[in-house]
Amino acid sequence: MCSIRRTDAGLAKRLRASLLLGALVGAGCPSPPQGPRWQGAGSPTPRRGGTLVFHHESDVRGFDPHTSFDELSNMGIKLLFEGLLDYDADGHLVPRLAEAMPEVSDDGLTYTFRLREGIRFASGRPVTAEDVRWSLERMLHPRVGSPGLTFYTNLEGLDAYRDGRAQHIAGIRVIDERTVAFRLRAPDQTFLYAMAMTFANVVPRENVERWGAEVARHPVGTGPYVLESWEPGVRVVFRRNEHYWRPGRPYPDRQIFELNLSREPAFLRFLNGELDIIHRQSPADYLYLKRSPAWRPYWVQRPSIDLWGYAMNCELPPFDNVHVRRAVAHAIDRQRWARTRLYRIRPTGQPLPPGLLGYRPDLPHTQRFDLEIARREMALAGYTLRDPDGDGIPEPVLTVEMWIGEGPTGQVYGELVQSDLRRIGITVQLKPVSFPVYLRESGKPRTVQSLMTGWSQDFPDPADFLDILFHSRAIHDHDSENRAFYRNPELDALLDEARVERDRERRGRLYERAASIVARDAPWAFTFNSMKLDAWQPYVRDYRPHPVWDNYYAELWLDLPRRRIARQVGGGGTALAWLGWPWSLP
Amino acid sequence: MMDPRAWRRFRRNRGAIVGLALVGLVNAVAWIGPAFAPFDPSEQLEGGTDPQTGAPVPPGTHLAGRGTLWLGADEVGRDELSRLLAGTRISLLVAFGATLLAVALGVLIGILAGYAGGPTDTVAMRSIDLLQSLPFLLVAIALNRVIDRPDLWVLCLVMGGLSWTTLARVMRAKTLQVRELEYVQAARALGAPAARLLLRHVLPNAIQPALVLGTTLVAQMIIFESAMSYLGLGVRPPTPSLGSMLHSGQQWLTHQPVLVLAPSALIVATVFGFNLLGEGLRDVLDPKD
Repeated sequence: MCSIRRTDAGLAKRLRASLLLGALVGAGCPSPPQGPRWQGAGSPTPRRGGTLVFHHESDVRGFDPHTSFDELSNMGIKLLFEGLLDYDADGHLVPRLAEAMPEVSDDGLTYTFRLREGIRFASGRPVTAEDVRWSLERMLHPRVGSPGLTFYTNLEGLDAYRDGRAQHIAGIRVIDERTVAFRLRAPDQTFLYAMAMTFANVVPRENVERWGAEVARHPVGTGPYVLESWEPGVRVVFRRNEHYWRPGRPYPDRQIFELNLSREPAFLRFLNGELDIIHRQSPADYLYLKRSPAWRPYWVQRPSIDLWGYAMNCELPPFDNVHVRRAVAHAIDRQRWARTRLYRIRPTGQPLPPGLLGYRPDLPHTQRFDLEIARREMALAGYTLRDPDGDGIPEPVLTVEMWIGEGPTGQVYGELVQSDLRRIGITVQLKPVSFPVYLRESGKPRTVQSLMTGWSQDFPDPADFLDILFHSRAIHDHDSENRAFYRNPELDALLDEARVERDRERRGRLYERAASIVARDAPWAFTFNSMKLDAWQPYVRDYRPHPVWDNYYAELWLDLPRRRIARQVGGGGTALAWLGWPWSLP
Repeated sequence: MMDPRAWRRFRRNRGAIVGLALVGLVNAVAWIGPAFAPFDPSEQLEGGTDPQTGAPVPPGTHLAGRGTLWLGADEVGRDELSRLLAGTRISLLVAFGATLLAVALGVLIGILAGYAGGPTDTVAMRSIDLLQSLPFLLVAIALNRVIDRPDLWVLCLVMGGLSWTTLARVMRAKTLQVRELEYVQAARALGAPAARLLLRHVLPNAIQPALVLGTTLVAQMIIFESAMSYLGLGVRPPTPSLGSMLHSGQQWLTHQPVLVLAPSALIVATVFGFNLLGEGLRDVLDPKD
């Protein structure tokens, strides 16, 4: 302040003028573009070439299809590896490395696969039936400790192999160079789905033996891309696999996987044309996309096959009482949840997501918001609710602890439960925990009283939800997936019967009954199935969200990305771009 | 204990006056404000989110029969203004609690170390070295995890228990200085017991730096409380605090900036105010520095 007083009037004027200029420049700064910055060139047919840039919020540990089991690694694994089976764009099982769908023996126990001709690993070596067997045996070896084990326990001779009593798994037989047969102990309608999981992808033995524990950092497979470079924590670059067996594929020469890029900055980079495709948005960015007419053709919102809910520990009071659980299940105002979450979630009151066998919109015992029923169930549980001041909030009769994920989203769900259960006299105390702690502790019996939890499909079959989340077999001393610790022999029997049932219609009815029992007993208050919005640049063509694999970018093509021209301008180009020049380009 | 000329010096110190005004304002918001809150800060209002999009309603939305949401709603439909008032109170409460604890510890340990000397002094000073060499936030997070109870007083305890070190050093230095003054020597020669010496002669002399440092410490504590709450280690939801409101508001920055700007403005005002006041106090009380 003093310094201005001491300077002459002229300087002060100039100072003010420059401030004014600054304000003008500020006003003249480009507001964020109202639509995509670059359009496609309009090619009618798929073109080869270009680089696709995508991202994820976290860091990736490695790309080993046999041990990695998360969305993030999977995004790379699907570019690098393949298995005998895969899904088409509609979610049907199709042969991938196999020539055709396998021959199944009449007793439903033996599956015989024949490999396509001329398939090579990215190293150039041809793939043989022996590689298929070696890969599965590696994945199922106790030393590898694959989380995929549970999906293959039905293989004949697996126990002997894992105990070290046999060199090989008796149920996997190499018949000739290109033929391999699998034999099961009992019929299993989920086996083919298991064979389409990344756990059953084929890897070259010599590469695994060369790198040992480091192999996840040096992936070699049969997929459309190979790993070109890896800047830890920053980005992974994939280059076209020259030995790929599908002629002309993949279309883009390179794919760049930007790591540790959280959703807000990722969205800004997307608007700026530096990211080609995004798959998660903050609420504000989501609303921006939904409201912008210019972006409307370049996003699609699609239901995820998943299930979310408030799981209550059936072994711990007060949730060992079915009436309390039912009261909770009827006190959750699912429509309000959906509104608070910007309708990015679809309310549900049953354990199977829409689209799966056994899902019925009018399933008996479907949980729904009804305070009348909720309060009646509280009374049946022995809690009289009194509301002397008549504000709809009765005096608290119970206090429970609820675990939520760290971060704003987990907190919102916690607060939603809190405000819903207040209306039936239950006080909820929230405990935010990190994801690893949540996984570890909620898998132990009698530890976590209640929690917000969810499950996303491994394969599109009801067994992947009901068997895993509610079968008593999924209760262990550690790592239980049945985090409500719900046991019901009647349900177990139904699920075991359904798993082997070969008649699809009968199987569907069995799962309907099972789902209805779970909804009735309410180990979870089922709350919603989520939706996912993918947005891409106009020059990204033929992208369709895959029904099974999240963020699967192997099939799309790039339509003469104009931005590559802009990038060549270099530093000056960036400055011009900032001032708004590129938008005036044709 | 206070120089009569001090108040005149204080009044002439523009920064100190601004600081005092800001501190007064923030305290008014925190202690009187909640009484005027239009809504229950935890109530998820039916009309708080837009029925079409689900987005929080903008500032100034009027709810028929309920009142006006002057700052709009947050993402679960709670009145932002009411939360801001309640949140300021919580943040200040934590900051004051932690500061009181830190000042008490700092004064006690500093004076004892300075007066006793010898091994007591060495142990105290080396523990301070040790504590100061640890990154504050990291230790606070670790402690919070170990105690594992996201409550107000735990937060105070952790933050206060970690931030008394600077004050203790200053108090020790001051005590060393005062201890050798003639009248203290004289009192000792007359056989005054140590407790009396400390309370009557050493403490009053050393209290000024405690006042100054304590004031700036409040500002630091506000920042730490915000940081802890921002990391999800603060108070238990749905209790609001400035940091936790910032935490949940950040995803709405581009859509509803007030959810970030309002708590930020209060944090800035509080920190700025306490810092200015602290510096003003130092100028006034200890013109030699």
